[in-house]
Amino acid sequence: MLFNMKAQSPDELEDWPNVREAILRYVRTRTGRSDVADDIAQETLLRLITLRETQAIGSYFALGFRIADNLMIDNHRREARQSSDMNEDWECDSPSLDRVLDSKRAVEILSLCLRRMPPLRREVIIRRRLKQESCSAIGDELSMSAKAVEKHITRGLINLRQAFNRAGIEPMGE
Amino acid sequence: MPAEFSEIDRQAARWVNQMNLPVQSSETAAAFDRWIMKDPRNAENFALIQAIWQSGGFEEALEEAETAPILHQAPNDNAPLPWFSRNWRKLGGAFAISGLLIALPLLNTTMIERAHFQAPHGENRSVTLADGSSIVLSSSSAIDVKITPWSREVALLEGEAFFDVAHEKLRSFTVDMGKTQVSVLGTAFDINLVNPDTVTIRVFRGLVGVDAGAGRLWRLPAGGGMEISGDRLRSLPKPFGDQPGWIEGWYDASDTPVRQLIEQLNRVSPKPIMLKDPALGDLLVSGRFHTSKPEGVLDALAVTYNLNWRRQGDHYLISR
Repeated sequence: MLFNMKAQSPDELEDWPNVREAILRYVRTRTGRSDVADDIAQETLLRLITLRETQAIGSYFALGFRIADNLMIDNHRREARQSSDMNEDWECDSPSLDRVLDSKRAVEILSLCLRRMPPLRREVIIRRRLKQESCSAIGDELSMSAKAVEKHITRGLINLRQAFNRAGIEPMGE
Repeated sequence: MPAEFSEIDRQAARWVNQMNLPVQSSETAAAFDRWIMKDPRNAENFALIQAIWQSGGFEEALEEAETAPILHQAPNDNAPLPWFSRNWRKLGGAFAISGLLIALPLLNTTMIERAHFQAPHGENRSVTLADGSSIVLSSSSAIDVKITPWSREVALLEGEAFFDVAHEKLRSFTVDMGKTQVSVLGTAFDINLVNPDTVTIRVFRGLVGVDAGAGRLWRLPAGGGMEISGDRLRSLPKPFGDQPGWIEGWYDASDTPVRQLIEQLNRVSPKPIMLKDPALGDLLVSGRFHTSKPEGVLDALAVTYNLNWRRQGDHYLISR
């Protein structure tokens, strides 16, 4: 069953099992761990339901994913703290996507892909992500429309995603 | 990769860009929710690309890519998208400016310009490249230049050169010294390949990225200078003026070993200068020396360290 957005305003959405399912997939992809994903998806759902009581929510998933991001960070910190007191056997051996992305190999793949991009596209991405410039500021600086800037970013992200595919890093193990 | 997957990637990438913008309209927000619910794989693909965008590894790679020399594009990196042809037209504009717009199929043969420049002993030599950049080569220095529509590459083979690089948004300008690389977009800087293991870099305008290999990367702004010697690194004081002193015949030493000053003098001096005891080369000197008058520099050295120098056959000899 899917949301029927035409018939319902966001406040009337009661499709919580499907919201939970999508958040679960999001967290599972990033952490690579079903147990953690279950807990985080459940907690995210509870927070979304509570927030809905007091405020209008524009995008359930934009907010839900952001809450989940923060919970993942909290969880990672907690586990890092605990694992220093624990036997190494307790550590989970399935690598999380986020940890994979910080690995030396991943940085190499990303860096190579960036260096092979058309220079303009790379310049746009560096300004947007590294220097936090807005799309319109980048557009002004590089004489193109903000829409063209966004297309460069989109195309660049696809390049990066495909670079991982080619390198055989496919974090979705399901 | 099946066409369906790349379409999902394309949509996910578009949403990652969209959802990282600071403001979302209510229509966009609702459209995002609809998209996530449409296909269970959408949440996963969004997660994958969002993870890349947010990762510390990506930030690291961007910092690296900002300064590292650009690589030629991989052949399968650029499957055309509808907007791609427009993009090429923009690039075409840039080539036209540098006088390089020729039919694209000829790219590999006619659009690559190669040249070798060498300054004779005792003389500086100025070179203006096709892109408008100018290079002053110090006496006895040599460079190889390769200019393509997508890159500007110089190899400093020997000696010292001052680069005043024409700003271009698309093509970076790279100088390769073997172990160390400097890359810029538009700036003025001096590189001295003191010996195969020692390089000094001084920036007069703009910003340069320095890659000394083994993951050692720096960004050097105007007024900055550094000396890389094997694994050692030291920063150099702010350079004087808007171009290096040697162009006018001066050498600025700052706690510089005498050996280095002499290497510098020998690039111009009609007679080579030699040290009777190699250990004298370890003495440190500071100050501004007029390299076109080697005998004057020898006098100054002699006074500073209580040394003697004399003309002996075809060379000068410095001794205690």
